[in-house]
Amino acid sequence: MKTTRRKFLSTTGTATAAFGFPAIIPASALGNADRPAPSNRIVMGGIGIGNMGRGDHGAFLGKKDVQYVAICDVRKGAMNQGKAKTDAKYGNKDCKAHDDYREILSRDDIDAVHIATPDHWHAQMIIEACRHGKDVFCQKPESLTLGEGSLMVETARRYGRVVSGGSQRVLQDYKGTVIRCWNGSYGKISSINVNVGPMSKPCNLPPENVPGDMNWEMWLGPAPWAPYNGKRCSGSFSTSGNSWRSYIDYSGGGMTDWGAHHFGGATFAVDVRDLQPNEAVLGEIDGKKFVSLKYPNGIEITHNKPGVGQMHVGRDNVERAGKEVPKYAGSGGISGDFIDCVKTRNKPFRDIEYAINTMAVPHLATIAYKLNRSLKWDAGKQAFIGDAEADRLRHRARREPWQI
Amino acid sequence: MLDQALESLKTYEWGVDPKAVQAIQDTVVATHGDAAARKSLEGQLAAALGTDIPRAAKDTLCRALKTIGTAHSVPALAKLLHDEQLSHMARHALEANDSPEAVKALIGAIDQAPKKIKIGIISSLGARGEGVPVAPLAKALSDKDADISTAGALALGAIGSADAVKTLRSAKVTDANWANPSVKIAVCDAMLQCAENMLAHGKKADAKAIYGMVLKIGTTKAAKIAAELGLKASA
Repeated sequence: MKTTRRKFLSTTGTATAAFGFPAIIPASALGNADRPAPSNRIVMGGIGIGNMGRGDHGAFLGKKDVQYVAICDVRKGAMNQGKAKTDAKYGNKDCKAHDDYREILSRDDIDAVHIATPDHWHAQMIIEACRHGKDVFCQKPESLTLGEGSLMVETARRYGRVVSGGSQRVLQDYKGTVIRCWNGSYGKISSINVNVGPMSKPCNLPPENVPGDMNWEMWLGPAPWAPYNGKRCSGSFSTSGNSWRSYIDYSGGGMTDWGAHHFGGATFAVDVRDLQPNEAVLGEIDGKKFVSLKYPNGIEITHNKPGVGQMHVGRDNVERAGKEVPKYAGSGGISGDFIDCVKTRNKPFRDIEYAINTMAVPHLATIAYKLNRSLKWDAGKQAFIGDAEADRLRHRARREPWQI
Repeated sequence: MLDQALESLKTYEWGVDPKAVQAIQDTVVATHGDAAARKSLEGQLAAALGTDIPRAAKDTLCRALKTIGTAHSVPALAKLLHDEQLSHMARHALEANDSPEAVKALIGAIDQAPKKIKIGIISSLGARGEGVPVAPLAKALSDKDADISTAGALALGAIGSADAVKTLRSAKVTDANWANPSVKIAVCDAMLQCAENMLAHGKKADAKAIYGMVLKIGTTKAAKIAAELGLKASA
């Protein structure tokens, strides 16, 4: 299978600091006096304007330094609502509605896109967006498989793009734990536990009629073909069978959906965002299985360890020198951080590489649970050590004609 | 349990509870490390694939063969490659199958495949990466259909080998395709990927030459920025 080019990435310098190229901002946006000059505005489009996308659309639309010009959704209702909301904000009819994201990516006037589709689309869209020179804000979980992760990072670095993941909770929800880990009051940290689930499962729902306003082929995209069913594609946050978040072909289930937040908080708290585990050890206590993800620096993240609380930190409580907690750039939370980084070309708070390193945790744990055995992972090669069968689960063939 | 699950495949239409066939996946996991049991299981799954069972059932079999497939199941999967409904799931299994027979089956299916399926097969060859012969991909790159040419370019980029570079450098992309932005973006991306591979192997001069070429032929700002970043890295 594929070799990784991560060695190259580590030599370009783009992974550690500014990307070195100024933002390319066309002076095509219209505006009024209380907003930055058009040439200083980021021209944006949104892809996937349902549940999470609606929130992201509102967040970017509300920014004075953003000119929002395009909406894309495979559901006409959501697409038209998004256009109407944008047009109402600007008092014109200029927002263009698309039902194929490739039309947005091929527009030269657009600098950046935000993506909030189901997970099976993320890699395809991020990679294509980078090839078209767009900066990207993508909702979590950023990857559906291990293999997609390194491809996304490689492509973002190749084109010098700012690519941010979209977990606002990493910085907001776990502050107490993060501060005590970073300020040294916890002393030496050895582990942190995350309780989250369930994993996604196979889907074999019965066929239903495709609603008239929906492009079902485009919703499925690179995922295996399956007949339409409302529960298969519902954007509900349920992971118990009532939404795409429940099913293997589109999501890792709660394990990756909430996991993106929880594991994101955990990797941030114990400061391993720039690493991936090198072992996923399957354990069992009182008949309950759990996984320990071991890092090369000795830190351990446990998943669902029986008797251990959420975000419980293993530590020696011997106070040590602290370090400053990283924070968002700009203003307006994680979306403001992204916009600021588009201008400065700095690395966003949830830079795609951090996001992918985070997502490696639930992906590795999921494969260990599925195969019912412990695994060793070579993060440099992005391959399992001595387990060709586990290697097969890193990738999934994309349904024709989708290719990355 | 496995026998019951295999029997359930006969009526495994969309809408049937997946628990009816769960024993197949359970057996995949349980037989790990037992070569004889695996061989027997693979044989049973491949045989079932050739029977008249519903699409959802064949999907299930391909998913299991993705994990355990060897050269033994390649013939059964190869038969599905031209099937519009099942080609993707056959590739799901074949793309992961590390036997040379799987590559041969994919290559052998290209010429007679309809356009969309052809793109899928080319994509799977690219996803397999190193070790895949580049000749069929070079042929795809030179195809007069822009989508097939794009697929060939992306697959060559994914492979990223010295042969892939040679092919991309001497590629005979049709004039009409070269005027197509998708083809150009794919060709540039493929060359950039090959250059990264060379950098990763310490071949700075070779990488630099490719970045120089991309700077020359790349018409998009994105490709030029990427080439300049690459030149900086290969200095």
